[in-house]
Order: sequence, then structure tokens, then C-alpha cells
Amino acid sequence: MNPITSAVGTLDAATFELEDVSVAFAGRFALERVRLSAERGEALAVVGPSGAGKTTLLRTLGGALLPTSGHARIHGMELADLAPKARRALRSRLGFVHQDHSLIPVLRVSQNVLAGRLGRYGFLAGLRRVLFARRAELAEVHRVLERVGLADQLFQRTDTLSGGERQRVAIARALFQEPTLLLADEPVASVDPARARDLLELLTALAREEGVTFIASLHDLELARALFPRIVGLRAGRVFFDGPAAELTDERARALYELGADERVNDERVNDERVNDERVNFEREGDAASAVEEAPPRPAPKGLQG
Amino acid sequence: MSARRRPWPLGARGLVLLGLALAGLWAGLHLGLTPAGLVPRAAGLERLQEFVAAAARPAWRHEVAPTFVDASPFLVELGRATLRTIAFALAAMSLALPLGFMLGLVASDAWWRAETFGAGPLGAFARPLQVAVRIFIALMRSVHELLWAVLFLAAFGLNTTSAVIALVIPFSGTLAKVFSEMLDEAPTGAARALFGAGAGPLAVLLVGLVPRALPDLASYAFYRLECAVRSSAVLGFFGYPTLGLHLSLAFEDLRFHEVWSYLYTLLALVIVLEVWSGALRARLAP
Repeated sequence: MNPITSAVGTLDAATFELEDVSVAFAGRFALERVRLSAERGEALAVVGPSGAGKTTLLRTLGGALLPTSGHARIHGMELADLAPKARRALRSRLGFVHQDHSLIPVLRVSQNVLAGRLGRYGFLAGLRRVLFARRAELAEVHRVLERVGLADQLFQRTDTLSGGERQRVAIARALFQEPTLLLADEPVASVDPARARDLLELLTALAREEGVTFIASLHDLELARALFPRIVGLRAGRVFFDGPAAELTDERARALYELGADERVNDERVNDERVNDERVNFEREGDAASAVEEAPPRPAPKGLQG
Repeated sequence: MSARRRPWPLGARGLVLLGLALAGLWAGLHLGLTPAGLVPRAAGLERLQEFVAAAARPAWRHEVAPTFVDASPFLVELGRATLRTIAFALAAMSLALPLGFMLGLVASDAWWRAETFGAGPLGAFARPLQVAVRIFIALMRSVHELLWAVLFLAAFGLNTTSAVIALVIPFSGTLAKVFSEMLDEAPTGAARALFGAGAGPLAVLLVGLVPRALPDLASYAFYRLECAVRSSAVLGFFGYPTLGLHLSLAFEDLRFHEVWSYLYTLLALVIVLEVWSGALRARLAP
């Protein structure tokens, strides 16, 4: 049996489970004692101010970071216990939609989508599929592109597409992985507001159709409330709110984004630096290797104005 | 205002610049450089005028009737020498390019990181291998292609293979060094995304990183091809049958119109490559 399918062959109810997970970089906590879990097929939005740990949370769930302490389980498998090969196998089924710049501009749309399955095959077999896809494989790519509304751009060079279209290709690539868990880190942050809602509606609808667990970080609280049944509010690396969208009242939302009080949590030194220095170095390149998201300060979220 | 005083009126940077200027002055004095060196001797002045005057009228037939009977027309000879020059350069580049690419990939930081952290087959051995390859590359580059050519000429005599290898060694080294730097500077967003989807290190590098560096890699490869054409021409001065051989013979015999024909051909070759690489770059860049 393919070692990759066998590694994620037994999928139980809880898609992921974080138990007192802390993640620290260079002595600073990006996440602190986070408890969070989701059942299969759930959709949740992670919101919170810049630097609250949204990206770190998603990357931990994506297997890119190991918790400094606590337990992170995906499909019942403890991330830290997995051998590198098994972790790769698991990650081949975790679809991740990044904020932007995650596609290869000089390749065709079809090739970018096909690259989503590189983790499933050996090196040569994977390369062959990306570079010289067969008719049946292209037909499958076409079907995925149809679902994101880009069926006619199959052979287009990716750098000729608009920002919104590129993000659709990124979504198609994640879907093409046939993910069991779909993660999206600020998927609409680099798309203009008019298209952001469309794109996010598409993502949530696709996740629902696939029956896949979907977790997205968003800075637009209004969008999160409108499109996600469950919302998790992070503040200074801690879960500040976790519940149905309806229960996130304006008052609570304002408290979530309020400046002050517990911001200093991030400054506390950590003694136990088990991981997260060198081993993720390659993956952290371009992230400015920061403890917290380095996103520029954003205006107050829409949901809070007025 | 700061109360701190500068230790030197010039500051540290000024001192370094002053030092460099003094070193240059010393070198000039040591070699006895004087403007008088550029004043041509009486006979030389005539030669120079002749040479410059010939620039406007490059030869298109033999300036002096060839001494041997079965000599080809001048343009045929020129064409042959040009083709040989290109052939030497292409042969050298077709070996140096794959070699330089492979060495460059292994010498890049991206590679050993991907190998070590992405559960590649080499794992922890990737770093020592990288260091070894970097030293090897430095050795390849440290000797100029013309020096290699002289060495090989002494060792193997005048043969085509050794001339091509003389070009391949330093060219692979230079390509490898620059390629590895370009790979390390390429945006890593796509590579990280593929890593996140469980792709293996080599697949991540070849699909996620190399295409991002491709416009730079291609344009540099073209520049090196241009260098190879020039080096291949210069190899002629050692007796290899490229443009340089004809150039040096014509020069010695004071056939200046022919000299200019060879020079213009070389110039045309370089310009064609330049235009071609520019067009390719425009196609690759977004």
C-alpha cells in the first residue's frame, strides 16, 4: 500500500486537537497553552489582532511548526512523534491556502495545480506529472479548475492572471490534494475587498461540499461572522473566544481587539525551547523569522466600526 | 547633539578609501606608469593610422594572395573560423551548464536546508557535502580558462577535446557559484507551499524554487555563453583553429583589413547573443 495513503488512512472523528499547545520562537511565545479541537467537516474562522498568533496556529496545524510544549494531534497522530517521512505523508493531505506568492509564476495554471500532489509520489513520478501530465490527469485538473471558475485558464501562464485569479489557482491546488483538513492563512488579504467576499464564499462552499474541516484566519471580522458558524478569537497567543459566531457580540469583539493589558504576554521569556529554531529555518525564510506575524498594522476590523 | 568626537577627522570609512587610493598610487609608481607609454613611436604611428583607417573597410577577400594553392576564398575561411569558434563555445557550455547547475544546486543553502529538514535521502550529510562542493567550485574557478588551456596544451598537445575541457572547468565553477547564489535569493513562497503539501526536498527545489530563479539563471547562462564565445576566440592565439588564430596571423602579417573582418565578426556574434538573451529574458520575466 502507498505509505502516504496508509499514514492518513484511518481518519477518526476529531480532525485536529490542540492540548495546551505553546509555540515559542527565540524565547517569545507566539501561542500559549492553546486548547482547540474541531470535528470533521467543521468550519471555523480564527480572528484577532495582528501578532495574536493566527499564523502560528495555522502553521502548527499544517505541521510546519512543532509545539514547544503541549500536544498537537492531527487525525489522532501526535505531530512531534511522527517520523519526517510520515509527517510529509500527513502534510500531503493538508491543503494550505497562503496569503499570496505561493504559486510558481512561470508555470502554467495546470502545472501549479498538479504540483499540489507532489507529496504523494516519488521524486521522478511527481516531476513527470507536473511537467508532462497525461490526458486523464489534466482532465482531473480541469474539473478542479471548473469548481473555482477557472476552467478556461488551464494552460494559461500563471503570472498573466490577476491577484484574485491566482488565489483561485491556489485554492484549486489545495483542493487537488484531496485534503482532509483545509487551512487558509488570510486567504483574501491580498485581494481587493469586492472580490474578497466572493473568494471566501467560494472557499467555504467548497469546503462544505467536500465535507472537509476548514479553518481560516481572517482580519475581517464581519466576513468571519457572516460566513463561519464558529469563531475562535486569539489574543496575545491565547484563545480569547471560542464559540458560535452569534455569541461573538460587538462588546466581546471590541475587547478582543482592544490594545493594552495582556500585550506584554509576548515578552515573557521562555525556558523550554525545544524546537523551532533551526529545523523550520527553510520554511521560515521570508517570514522575517519573527515570533509573531509581522503584518503591518491594520485598521480596525470592519465589524467594529460604527 | 552628540558630544562624541570622531577619533579621526576622516572617520573609519574615509581612512579605508584613503588607503585604497594610496595603494593604487603605489602600484602605478611601482610599475612606472607614465603617459609617455601611450605616445606611439614614429613607425608605430604610421601603423596605428593604417590600422584605424582599415576599420572602415574590412576585408571580404584575401588581402594578400594566399601562398598555398588550394586556399579557400576569404569569406569561406572567415565563416569556417566563426563556426568553429561557436562550436567550441557551444560544446563547452553544453557540458558546463548541466555540471554548473548540479554543483550550484548542491552548493546552495536552500538545498541543504531542504535536505536536512525535508527528510531527504542525505539528511545530515547534506551540509558537509555542500561545504566540500563549495571548495571544489572555488578550485575550479581559481584557474583561468586560458591557463587551463596552456596546461592542457603542454600535457596533451593541440587537441580539440582538451581545449573544450579547459573551458568547461572554470565555466562550470563560475556557473555553479552564481547559480547557487541566485537560487538562494529566489523568493521561497512557492517552495514553502510545496513543502507544506508534503513534497520531497528535490521536488520542492526543482519545481518550487528553480522556476522562480529561472529568468536570472537563463540570462546568466547566456552571458556565460557570450564569455565562452570570446574565450573560444582567444584560444586561437594558442593555435586552436578559431577566430583568434586567424586574427593573430592576420595581425602579424599586417593584414589590417582582415583583422577588422575578424573583429567585426566577433562583435556581431556577441551582439546576436545579447539580443537573443534579452528576448528570452523578456519572455521569462512576468
